[in-house]
Amino acid sequence: MNQFEFNRRVMLQALGGAAAAAGLGILPGSANAAGPLKIWTIGIAKVGAKDWSAMEQQSGIKVSYIAKSARADEAIQKMVVGDGNKLYDALTDNGGGMEDALASQKAIVPLDVSRIPNWKNVLPRYKDGGSAAGTIRHKGKIVSIPYISNADSMAFNYSKIGQELTSWEAMFDSQFKGRAAMQNDFGPTLTNTAIYLQQSGKQDIKDPSNMTPAEVKGVCQFLIEQKKKGQFRTFWDGFQNAVNLLTSEEVLVSSCWEPIQVIARRKSGKDIRYGTMKEGHQAWNNMWMLTRGGKARGQEAAFYKLMDLYLNPWFGARTLGGLGFTPQMTGVMEYVKANPKDFPAAKVKEIELRLKRKAERAAVKGNAWQNVFPKHIRAYQDWWSRVQAA
Amino acid sequence: MPAPPSFFERVFGETWLGRAAMRLPLAFMVAFFLIPLALTYVWSVFERTQFWMKPGFTLFSYVNFFTSARLENFLWSMGHSAVSVVIAFILGFPIAVFVRRRVPQVAQHRVILLFLLPFMVSEIIRVFALRPVLQRNGLVNTVLMDLGITSQPITSILYTPTGVIIGEVMSFLPFMVFAGFLAMEALPKYVFEICEDLGAGRIRTFVDVILPLAAPGIFAGSVFIFVNGLGIALLPNILGGPGAVNAGLIATQAITALDFPLAMAVSAIMMTTLLGLLYIGHRLFDLTKILSPIT
Repeated sequence: MNQFEFNRRVMLQALGGAAAAAGLGILPGSANAAGPLKIWTIGIAKVGAKDWSAMEQQSGIKVSYIAKSARADEAIQKMVVGDGNKLYDALTDNGGGMEDALASQKAIVPLDVSRIPNWKNVLPRYKDGGSAAGTIRHKGKIVSIPYISNADSMAFNYSKIGQELTSWEAMFDSQFKGRAAMQNDFGPTLTNTAIYLQQSGKQDIKDPSNMTPAEVKGVCQFLIEQKKKGQFRTFWDGFQNAVNLLTSEEVLVSSCWEPIQVIARRKSGKDIRYGTMKEGHQAWNNMWMLTRGGKARGQEAAFYKLMDLYLNPWFGARTLGGLGFTPQMTGVMEYVKANPKDFPAAKVKEIELRLKRKAERAAVKGNAWQNVFPKHIRAYQDWWSRVQAA
Repeated sequence: MPAPPSFFERVFGETWLGRAAMRLPLAFMVAFFLIPLALTYVWSVFERTQFWMKPGFTLFSYVNFFTSARLENFLWSMGHSAVSVVIAFILGFPIAVFVRRRVPQVAQHRVILLFLLPFMVSEIIRVFALRPVLQRNGLVNTVLMDLGITSQPITSILYTPTGVIIGEVMSFLPFMVFAGFLAMEALPKYVFEICEDLGAGRIRTFVDVILPLAAPGIFAGSVFIFVNGLGIALLPNILGGPGAVNAGLIATQAITALDFPLAMAVSAIMMTTLLGLLYIGHRLFDLTKILSPIT
């Protein structure tokens, strides 16, 4: 391409782009000109009010909320082979690896984070070279914005047990025989068990997030042995199910998501705690993505405005104080302390403690990232069915 | 004697609308049963791709099903469902007989309606409600311990196959009552009077007269219960022990792993089982008799 061609082509593209942008309403200041931002997400993505009004007020855009299940397979199917791009402008993921799957199929588009003023607040681990940098990028390009994260651990009934539990050993300890539960999902259950077996030196596992068939076999054989000994009361499935197991004291130890522990503690009034396991945890983050269809419909500006809110300590403080998810930006404690009207002293203390525990959990060396589609998923599936049959 | 005119013939007469209406049930069967069934079989031999499946012919999913622990899980869930059918028959069919024989004719349908009322409540709520009753600190254990019958809570009720069977019986008992009642309704009351006149005892009347005549209805109710026990995933999920599954859950878990051909193969195996059962039932009991009065 010569200089003339370059200039002409670039100018035409720029003019065409500007015309299209004006037509679609994506010029600065025209957020929501293409109608409300159609978001396909889960209820926990909002804070501040029972509906999305507080989020709309803070972000300055209108949203149209479409409820989404917590199943990664459903989301991927809808976006890759279904009509997700026609229906939704933006969506949240359901676990590690989903953004790669969607970006590889061009269901979502790369993002320009320079259009998000609060990107400067994002946790350093997401910046280039950071420990979580790969979780929001596909082929080096940022394709998603993190909004919550956590390291899944073990909840335990401190009122009954009377001591702090700091190892996955408790999950397989005979003193909790018949009073232990894990999730009825091969992903988190095999990953957390693999972390325990790897870090305690019981099995040689290279990467608990992406095991070889032989490693999967070893982990499942261990679980089968435990199951046959009667260690597990059940494998839970669903939020309420898991909460009920803890509040009814059917189980005293349970691997679960942190909000389950928060709600079980609140509901039962018992001292149900969420431990920091010395071996490590399955770490995950949830993210927002802009769909190819959303971009084509001129919803970029609105999307970036919403993302700006998700990286604002206003959101971080509330998601941490509410369901206990880890915020993805710096400056949360400063914000909490500067707003005593919204966060009274007792709440500040609770948030501070929660954040401290989270920092401890995140710092454990053996943590492994969640991977919803490991390379040898067939081995995971087949061996999990053997655990179920045992 | 010519056959009496059907409902559609009476309403629409011999018009094109009447003829079209006659074909409605057939169209319904094709659209909502035969086509989905055929697609299930076709997709079950497709090849798995990363996120979906592509046309091809492979029996991999079937081989995987029959050579993995999934077969064992499937057979176990068939076993649980069969036990549930037997218990539902023992509990439900006598109710149907009682209503038909002892409740005044005008009140019979109302009484049967009472058994169907629980169906108005969401299944998940009905199943979840069993937990506070059966769990460690639940109603059953509290009563047993308060009465001094047991000193420790019984933990073998919930999160065990027993829990799943209790859930299945509680959920599907009305199927047996309703189907049994329909079968009994087709039985003229004079049959019982003849039995009494001939001096047949209750057991003999039940075994030699009622049971054979009501067999198509009992079989229909049994198939409903058996198929639901195999397919409804929330029962083993909420009431079963670690890793409790049924065929529905095996298929759901295959979908979760984006293994659509395997999910289709599980569904195809389930449908084949059901069709096989219906065929055997029809050969043995002539299922068309369910809705025809016995003369």
